[in-house]
Amino acid sequence: MDLALTDEQKARKQEFYDVCKELEKKKPPSFLGAETVFELDDCWEYHLHCAKEFAKRGWLALGWPPEYDGKGDMMDRVLFAEARGYYDTPGVDIFGVQMLAPTLLQAASEEIKREFLPPIARGEVMWCELWSEPNAGSDLAALSTTAIKKGDEYIINGQKTWNTAAHKADWGFGVFKTDPEARKHHNMTFILLDMKTPGITIRPIPYLDGHAPYCEVYFDDVHVPAKNIVGQEHEGWAVVNLLAGFERSGIDIIMSYIRALEELVKFCNETKRHGQPLAKDPLIRNRLAELACELEAARALAYRVADLQNRNEMSLMDAAAGKIFFSELGERLAFVATDILGPYGQVKTSRWAPLDGLWEKLFHDHFVTTVSMGTNEIQRNIIAWYGLGLPRIR
Amino acid sequence: MDLRFTETQEILKKMARDFLTTECPKTLVRKLEQSEEGYSPEVWKKMAELGWMGLIIPEEYGGMGYTFQDLVVLLEEIGRNILPGPLIATITSTFSILEAGTEEQKKELLPKIAQGELILTTALLEGDGVFDASGIAVKATPKGDDFVINGTKLFVEMAHVANHIICVTRTKDGTTSEKGTTLFIVDSKTPGISCEVMPTTAADKLCEVRFKDVSVPKKNILGKIDEGWPIVEMMLRKGAIAKCAESLGAIETCVEMTVAYSKERVQYDRPIGAFQAVQHKIADMWTAMETSRYLIYEAAWMESEGLPCAKEASMAKAYVNEVYMDTAKWAVRLHGAIATSADHDIPFYYRRSKAADTAFGGTDFHREIVAQKMGLA
Repeated sequence: MDLALTDEQKARKQEFYDVCKELEKKKPPSFLGAETVFELDDCWEYHLHCAKEFAKRGWLALGWPPEYDGKGDMMDRVLFAEARGYYDTPGVDIFGVQMLAPTLLQAASEEIKREFLPPIARGEVMWCELWSEPNAGSDLAALSTTAIKKGDEYIINGQKTWNTAAHKADWGFGVFKTDPEARKHHNMTFILLDMKTPGITIRPIPYLDGHAPYCEVYFDDVHVPAKNIVGQEHEGWAVVNLLAGFERSGIDIIMSYIRALEELVKFCNETKRHGQPLAKDPLIRNRLAELACELEAARALAYRVADLQNRNEMSLMDAAAGKIFFSELGERLAFVATDILGPYGQVKTSRWAPLDGLWEKLFHDHFVTTVSMGTNEIQRNIIAWYGLGLPRIR
Repeated sequence: MDLRFTETQEILKKMARDFLTTECPKTLVRKLEQSEEGYSPEVWKKMAELGWMGLIIPEEYGGMGYTFQDLVVLLEEIGRNILPGPLIATITSTFSILEAGTEEQKKELLPKIAQGELILTTALLEGDGVFDASGIAVKATPKGDDFVINGTKLFVEMAHVANHIICVTRTKDGTTSEKGTTLFIVDSKTPGISCEVMPTTAADKLCEVRFKDVSVPKKNILGKIDEGWPIVEMMLRKGAIAKCAESLGAIETCVEMTVAYSKERVQYDRPIGAFQAVQHKIADMWTAMETSRYLIYEAAWMESEGLPCAKEASMAKAYVNEVYMDTAKWAVRLHGAIATSADHDIPFYYRRSKAADTAFGGTDFHREIVAQKMGLA
């Protein structure tokens, strides 16, 4: 066991932190965490600005092979995520950089790689994910949107939903039923498409706090070049599984929680109630310490996941455990913090809001981590079925 | 960064697992719990031959010279089999001698500890049952070349079989409760010492030790007079991590036994492990185990590297305390009525989880350390 970083890694980590700290100065006051990027125009602009700054340094291609202008290794990607998380810096497209790029590197043809990787690395093209449908959520393989091949095109018809950033993205990747006659898991294809293609209609869905980070996407005879596929035709399920296995240490989210807790500690030191700082209240001390312990446990497990992935080893179980843990920890953080803030815990960004309303925002946004990326119930199934070999009754 | 065990650690782990599987069956654990001594001198001797008591003692004092991290690997295995006995008491007392002992004390005691010839324990808690210095009231008063100790210590692990007791005493009323505490290495055969085993949840032989006009030579002071508390803090910090490692092994066993049982126990024509109500609970147990694991390994690594880790050690202890009790509780629940039987193995772990919880500081004690270290005023 050795958790030490090499001198080179320490230097790069410092550089990541320095740049993110500098970028924080340009953060719009309305920015309250990753989701606001998809909700507010000034936050989206900030996201694009950060993407350019990162692209300039080659940081959107960390861990890619040199032939695709990659830089650094997987560990750099982890350290970069840590810095971005701590300063809550956007600029890394979750869908393009974190999900699609590693998938393309492993499963796409040379032609597709050459076409789609460079714009991702340059921070020019932003992506969205077109997976869920109204009747295919956790059971994604039950999807029904079709892409029927005609000549050198696919013609897509149907509807996708819960598509984060679809209203902002340039391109989308999704899975569509290409062989309606074939059996489940061998009937779909992983397709890349331009979101400006005629026939696509995008409708934002109001989220429970009134913002709209997600969309419904309707397809009405949408023509997509047949070459724009990843993996084998009709074998998109394998690509979906490949993609789902990438990244997912959650270190960026965990670091953002660690920073938020630091801010809450400051608030408790500076704010008096009953004539003494909140920090002197033994109950508050105990609750915040409990959360700090859990955050450290989450961080330690995230490094375990990263360590496995750095060595190209499977991390299915640990990644699932980490996801369950940090996402539910986010819920607890939101509940405890807004409780400590008392009546102020419900105030949105305004002159009355403590800490700019960050915790009020998290009270809504934690569902993003528990429900998406495979619900926590699905993650528990993964651990039980694939990890521990418990019987699966269909 | 590489979170894998080293080759040495893998060998140590395998050796320990093989040894304990053969030498420490549950029949023996059951017998030892009911016995007066609470440990097996024969197994103790064999463990000494394997070098376990001397694992972290430097080679120059007859030990193996392994790291703290290596010790954690061993203790995890010990915890899997919940071997009863004075190993942790001896090892944590050894920490204090290694940290604060004079050359003479080290030369005298360490080789014998490594050989398995001496059992040590540390007498810290008193009537208040608190882990901070405010609880120290047992007095040591100078008299000629000796100090005379008077008072009662409680919850002293395996004191009834210990050869030496490291006794934390008050030698002066200082400006703070930490000041004026002094540690003594006391020969347990010294006249005036009496010992009684307390009945406890885990039957782990915690003792009341009474000191009545017990004379201890000045040369037996461990560390500096009146400045004993930093040694106690160090012992609690390392002890907390060590106990966590032992708990982790026990948590592993609880999870593994529950997984195995849920695959074989059939109800409603299917193994109970096919029900998602059971699967998800087991997944939660597994998740809690893994979060504990890397938190413990992180603290152990920092301790091994000599990095300041009071916060991380306390984080680990506060967290693992609850995980162990909760995992053991769910192991009983998912086994059902069978695991409430005294003949079943799971209750060993459930009962031990309470002992592990209080040893080297309970959850709230460690959370308060975390609160201070995280900057709460």
